[in-house]
Amino acid sequence: MILSIIAYISIGLLVGISVYKAYQFARMPFHGRMDLYPVPKEKGFEHGGSYYEELDWWKKPHEVSHMREIVEMLKEILFIKTLFENQRPFWWISYALHLGIYFLMAWTILLVAGGVFELNGISVAVSSSNILALLLFYLTELTGYFGLALATMGSGLLFLRRAFDNTLKKYTTPQEYFNLLLIFVALITGIFTWGNDLSFGYAREVTANLVAFKPFAASGLLTLHIILVGIMFIYIPTSKMSHYVGKYFTFHKVLWDNNPNLKGSGVEQQIKNAASFRPTTSWSAPHIKAPAAPEK
Amino acid sequence: MLSERDLRPKDMGRSDEQLIKLYNLMPLKAPYDKPGMESPLTDPKPAWKEKYCTSLDGYIGIDTLTRPKSKEEEDEFVRKFLSGLEKIFSDANNGVLQPLLLSFEYCAKCNTCSDACHIYSATDNNELYRPIFRSEVLRKIVKKYFTTSGKLLGGLVGADIDVNWETIARLGELSYRCNLCRRCAQTCPLGLDNAILSKEIRKIFSQEMGIAPTPLHTKGTMLQIKTGSSTGLSKPAFLDTLEFLEEDTEEKFGIKLKFPVDKKGADILLLHNAGEFMAWPENPVAFAILFDAAGLNWTLSSEIMGYDSVNYGLWYDDIQAKKIALMQMKVAKDMGAKRLVVAECGHAHKASMIAGDRMTSDRIPVESCLPLLWDMVKSKRLKLDPSRNNFPVTLHDPCNVVRQMGIVEPQRDVLNAICPQFREMTPHGVDNYCCGGGSGFAIMNSANFPEFRTQVASRVKFNQILGAFKGKMEDTSIPKYICAPCSNCKGAMRGLLEHYDATEKFNLQYGGLVELMVNALVSMKKPFLEFLE
Repeated sequence: MILSIIAYISIGLLVGISVYKAYQFARMPFHGRMDLYPVPKEKGFEHGGSYYEELDWWKKPHEVSHMREIVEMLKEILFIKTLFENQRPFWWISYALHLGIYFLMAWTILLVAGGVFELNGISVAVSSSNILALLLFYLTELTGYFGLALATMGSGLLFLRRAFDNTLKKYTTPQEYFNLLLIFVALITGIFTWGNDLSFGYAREVTANLVAFKPFAASGLLTLHIILVGIMFIYIPTSKMSHYVGKYFTFHKVLWDNNPNLKGSGVEQQIKNAASFRPTTSWSAPHIKAPAAPEK
Repeated sequence: MLSERDLRPKDMGRSDEQLIKLYNLMPLKAPYDKPGMESPLTDPKPAWKEKYCTSLDGYIGIDTLTRPKSKEEEDEFVRKFLSGLEKIFSDANNGVLQPLLLSFEYCAKCNTCSDACHIYSATDNNELYRPIFRSEVLRKIVKKYFTTSGKLLGGLVGADIDVNWETIARLGELSYRCNLCRRCAQTCPLGLDNAILSKEIRKIFSQEMGIAPTPLHTKGTMLQIKTGSSTGLSKPAFLDTLEFLEEDTEEKFGIKLKFPVDKKGADILLLHNAGEFMAWPENPVAFAILFDAAGLNWTLSSEIMGYDSVNYGLWYDDIQAKKIALMQMKVAKDMGAKRLVVAECGHAHKASMIAGDRMTSDRIPVESCLPLLWDMVKSKRLKLDPSRNNFPVTLHDPCNVVRQMGIVEPQRDVLNAICPQFREMTPHGVDNYCCGGGSGFAIMNSANFPEFRTQVASRVKFNQILGAFKGKMEDTSIPKYICAPCSNCKGAMRGLLEHYDATEKFNLQYGGLVELMVNALVSMKKPFLEFLE
């Protein structure tokens, strides 16, 4: 029962704190333009250009391709494209971790689905006659094996690389080693917990009990694993590992935001709103308060 | 002095006389790959060490940053910096708060950005110039003074830096070892931008501590706000200059040129970097010839703030940048111009079209000269003979115009149409490297800073140029033209070519885009480009 509560609270806090962080970034003050090209949404300027290449640009519609923006975004999310293009050796291990996490997210969902099946009396096993249950079984196997292997290997190798690379170790703080170690240890306990049953039947059974708030006998290892995963879930959104939140804003609201200030536009309205704001803090250099009138 | 290999961000507070000394630089390409083709880097003069902060790498970028005379002065210096540091995260800095916090908080320290930096590459990967080095110093100071975790856990969370005069002064200097070209931001998997942090350090120094390089501040924005131009060019002097250029153009080329000035209701108000009138007057002359030949309804302004497009505030001080941008816009509006066209000046493009775009809602449209120039060629309003430009030409992409605004093709289209031997640099377009003059470097000439600019900051660019003209360099009978449609970039090119004696030795020339266009005009009786005479 307590383990169920820990699981629910930690997942709730992971989502809740992440959403709260996104909300905090979203409500930050309107900022100046910092577009950086190529901006993928620029339709017709795929060479990295912008509407500023057009004569009388303000008289023409600013054509935007949301599809290209989404495709670029997906390349970043699914493949970490920028790292792949600019630092391939690092990409291999970073991508292993991230891909592993994606697999583990899918694995978790599949375990929950499998648990619900089991709770409803449908067996999720290699011998199952239900096609959906069979599909669930194999997908759970696939995502579980790959997820646990890749994420554990990725976090472990990232830790080692940081510890032994002469450059990286100069910039890595003990806290950052801790971040990777926490993930690694949580995953290792997972491998030991679930590894005894490669069909993940035990994992599904535990998940079903967690979902249904049913008491169950938990070994010390399982208890440790759930507590560690719980701590990790709560810690991640409070640390800079929450870059999954920041990344949306850095690209969409900073580097790719080139919406011009045109008459009647939303940007114009935001500028008007910002102009009425009176800051509570001010700069102190002597020239800041100097009169701005030029000599005639 | 530390070995650059051992240098760590927390070493910024060490008491060494000089943190590192530059020895190894990226080798230059042929014909500058032979011994003796380049002068060795010099040491700072002993007198400078006593007065300025030479304790970073020996160079002095901030000539107004002088050593304290007492412990009280040192304490006050540190206090003011910390006060400014706190303010960059406050509502006094609303205009950049979100981008700043994102870049400040999320760096994964993967070092992907390092190889993108031309200064880091030029110095043979010197640790001091790694883009995240200065960012990390800033983070350490913030953690130490402004976070609970830093106060409680210290080094465990990275708050392990001694903060004293040396630390802060070195950090200030280090913010002027970045051209703010933002090439590193293009490669960051998280979309973070170290240039934002460099600029924020510059802002703390200027906006809170009143410390900024003289060419940017006292002789830059302050002079511009006072007289109308950072060159100090007054209205009568500006009008005299135009008159002189009209006479000179008639004398040289037989063209009766008349600059339209203060023409009310003109379609175009053309805004030049006033430095062009002093250093490269052929550029505004070429604009006038082309605009007249194309039959455009245009004018210059002689109003104060109306004849100088520069806005150095962009590089170090948001308050100054806003003052200037708003004053320039007011002049354009008062004149009744339908649009403001920015001539060949990269940072002026960015200041008026990108930064200025969100400073006020009360604006007239601002346009780059580049699409306008391409339109003149494309529409065949100009009769051009490309054979007159039949020599190797390469194009430098100003970071502000290309990487930071997305104006990539029009200038290439023009060159492809009028220069038969046009060739690209590698890389080019949005991936191009900074000229080394960006963010004020081109005009910062105090003490030994020009040496850093020319031999370090411009080094990768020089190699790009040498690469573009490979096989042609040693033939001095062939002029080789670097087209740099930006005043500051031209300033950096001038410094480069002078330092390496490249015009004298290898007939390497530089200039803008409009000069090439006028040179190709069929109506020209003689070459517009002096080196062709």
